[in-house]
Amino acid sequence: MAPMEKPDYSALRELVHPHIDSFDYFLDEGLEKAVSSIRPVELSDPVSGSKLRISFGKPYLNAPMKEGRLKSSLYPHQCREAGLSYKGEFKVELNLQFDNKAVIRDHISFGHLPIMLRSKLCHLRGASPEELIFHKEEATEMGGYFICNGLERLARLLIVPKRNYPIGMVRKSFRGRGDGYTSKGVVIRCVREDQSSVTIKLYYLQNGSARIGFWIRGREVLLPVGIILKALIDTNDHEIFLSLTSCYNEKYQRQKGAVGTQLAGERAQIILDEVRALSLLTRSQCLEHIGEFFQPAIYGFETEAHSVVAEAVLRDYIFVHLANNYDKFNLLIFMLQKLFALVDQTAAPDNPDALQNQEVLLPGHLITLYVKEKLEEWLHKSIRDIKDEMSKNPAEFEFHKLDAKKISRNSQSIGRAVESMIRTGKVATRSTLDLPQKDGMTIQAERLNFLRFISHFCAVHRGAAFAKMRTTSVRKLLPESWGFLCPVHTPDGEPCGLLNHMASSCRVTSFYDSDGKIKDFLKIRMTILTVLVGMGMASSLPKLEQTGPPEVLHVLLDGCVVGSISSSNIEDAVGHLRRLKLSASSGFPADLEVGHVPLSLGGAYPGLYLFTSPSRFVRPVRNIYQLSDVNHCVELIGPFEQAFMEIKCPDGGEGGRREGFPATHEEIHPTGILSVVANLTPWSDHNQSPRNMYQCQMAKQTMGFSAQAIGKRADVKLYHLQTPQSPIVRTSSYSKYCIDEFPTGTNAIVAVLAYTGYDMEDAMILNKSSVERGLCRGQIYQTETVDLTKKHDKSTRVVEIFARSSDRKMSSSIDSDGLPYVGQKVQPNDPYYSSYNTLTSDIKPTNMKSSEPAIIDFVSVDGTNLKNGIQKANIRFRRPRNPVIGDKFSSRHGQKGVCSQLWPDIDMPFSAITGMRPDLIINPHAFPSRMTIGMLLESVAAKGGCLKGQFMDATPFSNSVNKADDNTSFESSSLVDELGPMLTSYGFNYHGVEVLYSGVFGIEMTCEIFIGPVYYQRLRHMVSDKFQVRSTGVVDQVTRQPIGGRKRGGGIRFGEMERDSLLAHGAAYLLHDRLHSSSDFHIAEVCSICGSLLTTSTLQPQKRIVREIRGLPPAKAPKTFTCLNCRSSKGIETVAMPYVFRYLAAELASMNIRMDLRLSNQQEK
Amino acid sequence: MEGISYQRFPKIRIREMKDDYLKFDLTDTDASMANALRRVMIAEVPTIAIDLVEIEVNSSVLNDEFIAHRLGLIPLTSDFAMGMRFSRDCDSCDGDGQCEYCSVEFHLNVRCDSDQTLDVTSADLRSTDPHVVPVDVAARALSTDPASFDSDQRGIIIVKLRRGQELRLRAIARKGIGKDHAKWSPAATVTFMYEPEIHINEDLMETLTLEEKRNWVESSPTKVFDIDPNTQQVMVVDPEAYTYDEEVIKKAEAMGKPGLVEIYAKEDSFIFTVESTGAIKASQLVINAIEVLRQKLDAVRMQDAEADFKEFSEHMGV
Repeated sequence: MAPMEKPDYSALRELVHPHIDSFDYFLDEGLEKAVSSIRPVELSDPVSGSKLRISFGKPYLNAPMKEGRLKSSLYPHQCREAGLSYKGEFKVELNLQFDNKAVIRDHISFGHLPIMLRSKLCHLRGASPEELIFHKEEATEMGGYFICNGLERLARLLIVPKRNYPIGMVRKSFRGRGDGYTSKGVVIRCVREDQSSVTIKLYYLQNGSARIGFWIRGREVLLPVGIILKALIDTNDHEIFLSLTSCYNEKYQRQKGAVGTQLAGERAQIILDEVRALSLLTRSQCLEHIGEFFQPAIYGFETEAHSVVAEAVLRDYIFVHLANNYDKFNLLIFMLQKLFALVDQTAAPDNPDALQNQEVLLPGHLITLYVKEKLEEWLHKSIRDIKDEMSKNPAEFEFHKLDAKKISRNSQSIGRAVESMIRTGKVATRSTLDLPQKDGMTIQAERLNFLRFISHFCAVHRGAAFAKMRTTSVRKLLPESWGFLCPVHTPDGEPCGLLNHMASSCRVTSFYDSDGKIKDFLKIRMTILTVLVGMGMASSLPKLEQTGPPEVLHVLLDGCVVGSISSSNIEDAVGHLRRLKLSASSGFPADLEVGHVPLSLGGAYPGLYLFTSPSRFVRPVRNIYQLSDVNHCVELIGPFEQAFMEIKCPDGGEGGRREGFPATHEEIHPTGILSVVANLTPWSDHNQSPRNMYQCQMAKQTMGFSAQAIGKRADVKLYHLQTPQSPIVRTSSYSKYCIDEFPTGTNAIVAVLAYTGYDMEDAMILNKSSVERGLCRGQIYQTETVDLTKKHDKSTRVVEIFARSSDRKMSSSIDSDGLPYVGQKVQPNDPYYSSYNTLTSDIKPTNMKSSEPAIIDFVSVDGTNLKNGIQKANIRFRRPRNPVIGDKFSSRHGQKGVCSQLWPDIDMPFSAITGMRPDLIINPHAFPSRMTIGMLLESVAAKGGCLKGQFMDATPFSNSVNKADDNTSFESSSLVDELGPMLTSYGFNYHGVEVLYSGVFGIEMTCEIFIGPVYYQRLRHMVSDKFQVRSTGVVDQVTRQPIGGRKRGGGIRFGEMERDSLLAHGAAYLLHDRLHSSSDFHIAEVCSICGSLLTTSTLQPQKRIVREIRGLPPAKAPKTFTCLNCRSSKGIETVAMPYVFRYLAAELASMNIRMDLRLSNQQEK
Repeated sequence: MEGISYQRFPKIRIREMKDDYLKFDLTDTDASMANALRRVMIAEVPTIAIDLVEIEVNSSVLNDEFIAHRLGLIPLTSDFAMGMRFSRDCDSCDGDGQCEYCSVEFHLNVRCDSDQTLDVTSADLRSTDPHVVPVDVAARALSTDPASFDSDQRGIIIVKLRRGQELRLRAIARKGIGKDHAKWSPAATVTFMYEPEIHINEDLMETLTLEEKRNWVESSPTKVFDIDPNTQQVMVVDPEAYTYDEEVIKKAEAMGKPGLVEIYAKEDSFIFTVESTGAIKASQLVINAIEVLRQKLDAVRMQDAEADFKEFSEHMGV
């Protein structure tokens, strides 16, 4: 056998990069930064007056290790099998310092933090496929998720507002902030180095002033903007006035790009007057004012001076991404100018729903800020506890004997909190952490099939809050997401448009450069700055009089106003920046975003916005206007800059672009706009678009190869296709993403004809012989974890272990260890394991609950605690799922159908030439309205491919790329003209039809039948898991009506609408049968005298009578009834009624309402 | 019943015969007869296939059902299947289907002890009856030239084993028909076509230029017609290659010459192609099929025709 070519999994690994890179950063730097940014706390002893300063030092995080003394590595497979979490110990240095004495360092364990698979601390990092297999993983294992209690969970990528970019917004809710507030505002989400963020909102007031608002301890504080302006730097009213009005120049009035109006001066005056009205004139007065206001609100500053508090507020809440107060001042001025332009409608508001103004929240960053929050919380709580203790009995408290051990009580809670966040997805915090939502931060990485698994990592969610919104505007597919989010791959229904998937070429910027080193952002910014200054940018820091657009454009670098550049040479500057971005030696990051918003009439606020930050979306395009070097022409662009760029599509057209705007960039391949899953639909460019969406849905719910290491896995439920195939007609993505490692379907010979009538309404006929030969066979693997330690309360200390009784009957189904035999078939209600209770010393078998037989596939026991014997075991069942009537199948073109018959092979139509009988028949009506031409093409192409012995390439849009390469090769662009001659050359019909003969009669069918191989997927919805039948069974205790629920053997509700339809048909008997006879039929005794049905009671048959006829079988005395109310049995009548009616009467009686029944034999006329 | 006799005397003319391939003409009969023969060949001619598998040890990567299914699909030589008993009809074994008259036992016992992947194939199946073996094993035994079998091809692969994996099982093969399960079907492909009758309108054909003729000839995806290199006349070279796709007729109409050619399917002449799985020889398959068909007809004839008719007329309410 020839050595198999080693598959290349790099494209697959690329998909989880955003997850792993962000977590790596958390390990490398983020954690350290977060810990070091926690402010030290001080504790003073009221008795001695000495002080204790507690601060955090260096954090340490270890790779996952097994518990116990033998410190051996814990591998993910073991976690999955034993239901453990894959986590490493987290320690932080705690520094204690008494009265400026020497610092006492101590390592405190803060529990265990979950470790992402294949991150830098994972044992599988960098493991080759062979090593992965050795560790019982998939060869393709990509990591990117966590294991919590044996379950694989991953953090959801969430859309958040773009960091450090002021977004102009119009929102009605802004008016609710208070009197005088308008709907307009400018919002900026500022992100610190440790990835925690504070959102600053600048509201416009009706009187022309503005308020600055931010959230502090769960409450929004609003401050007049003038105070902040004055408090930030030493300045005077004149300077502020000039800065605010600088963007207005009479010369440019109503010209293109003029954003300022003469109203700026008035507004500046109002802002300054407001401050003056509070008699705050100097910076120190302003600081004093702010300090006084915030002292009660922020923690740890109870004893500090007002000015210190104010400095802390400015540092920790106002524009936290900037360190310098001058920068903050300039940014605030810029934001005010943008706000005024927004109000005066000289600039349009930004759309917060557009990807242009968005970025993504990455798992590593989420954990960083969560750990920081939890550490802070813990520190404050332990200080509070010590203080409480001190105040209780200050005399006895030994302040100097405080040590790390005493302080660090309950320190394990941090690991637990983070683990619980990963496990439940709930962020437990009092402050919002500036996160868009508190629930659903993580999801389970289902391995239903491989496509579903990988698309979890590409999924980007808009946020849970938007799911409840009535408006649909957030769900819209906006042009801004072109190339970044897949237009096809979004579910229909509730999460439509909110849950998107990244396009296959889309990436997320990280802290790492291409060499895997952490980027030095300071250095990068300095490089960019020097280049900018070199290109004629007027730097803003040594304070210069600035003007605004249209004369100059402000330059913002990561949310810092670094200067302004003349609008006349901005084009050259942008071009130069892009050139430097492409060259590796410039020190520019390849993913620098050069967002040049050009001057416009009432368009977006102009400026040059540069971003180097992580967690932005980027995608590669070809730069065609600076083709100096062919190798270095692929530029990474972001959604912000994309909106202002001229990118050509390779179909040759100019896309309505006028001559004045030549294309500067070019798409690399049109399939780059589609997600991985959408890219797998062959010729999706020939299908009606919703069909491609359906296919993306269905691809993720097919039975396929969910895992190759299926024998080593302990998932609760896994679907498995016995004999999958690689599709004959395939797109280039199949090989790129190694989908053949996890195939999802079978190439079935599909005939399109109306045959037998069993293929009506999307039903399909399967060939019985094909199924018997193994078509679409599959299994479900279900793992049950039996943990005998959890069976009893821990307090009772009852030990139960697996064991078998000596009973002969048991040994047929249970092995000597109390566990089932592998390979054995277990019938419903048969025992499959038995356990020995050491307290009561009895052995009890446990029976299988499910309603169908299962085969024991695998049994594994947890040997970590063998002191008491085996107490924990995984039992994996295998349930065969061969195709039966009612199972669901689908092609790759959103054409799903249900198997309606397994038709005998001999009755299937056959071809006289080849003798072929189809595996599957679908109805021709499936095509006209759905227009899935791709499926027809697939059939024809697959037929040709079979004859030729080749796989056929069906990459969508490939003809538009071909054309660009050579215009001469094909006159007709029709695919049929390529495929048809291929069929003809093998003696088949050009259009893929064949003459078929009826299998029943042996005569020719009246028309030619379209027949060919189509890749069919078997969907996971199977009747065996869904059917619900009941004749008699359990009834409800209270109402005596049949219960519901398939698991409990209940019936299907015959509801109101069903009742209505029977009523409408006048089907009275059916109605009576369903709602009465087959439900809670009841014969009640009613006293016709008093009309009550509750007061009747049975009379005790007199026992004496029975004794008299002893020897004979006691004849059942007819029950006699009496009315307790009337003390007579004269008026007792029997009435058939629903039992709920009696129940109703009883309920009413409990409320002191009497129900009075009037009985009559007469028919009403 | 009175009436005209429709009795005919169908003929078979064998054209090509190999062990697993047979091509013959069936003439002087109609489609019902031809189709019945086809259906019987696919679904009613009995063969022997593994039907019950008892797995003792299976530590391979494939699960028990998968292996059992694969074993069932291995074609076994079934030359004596016609004479064998169905285990459901077997008197000597109380219907448990494990006696020598109705079943054949197989054993498989393989364990991989080397570092190389071991292919478990049909050759590893040990049969208790030398007449019932996997077809590839039988073919190799009969073959005069052992070199013609590639040493790599050891047979039909059942499963592949790695070091330490083992497969030990007992399998019972029984007689069955393809109607019950496809594994008992002796036919890989059975098909028949109506013999076409092609008349070229020579006069009309002469009106065509050579170029037009060539175009017309080439319009058929299969090579039915050709142009005589000498006379430049269109002639039928292989009428049976015609697939009834009517491409030539459409082409003629498109050229404005309807009636250029007339093609009819002969109602009473069929060309059969039979491919066998190897369980029985293709020729034997046809003979067995006719035998089965005759048994079926006998079963009909044996019934009391009178009573049958009575029942029928009652049913029809006459």
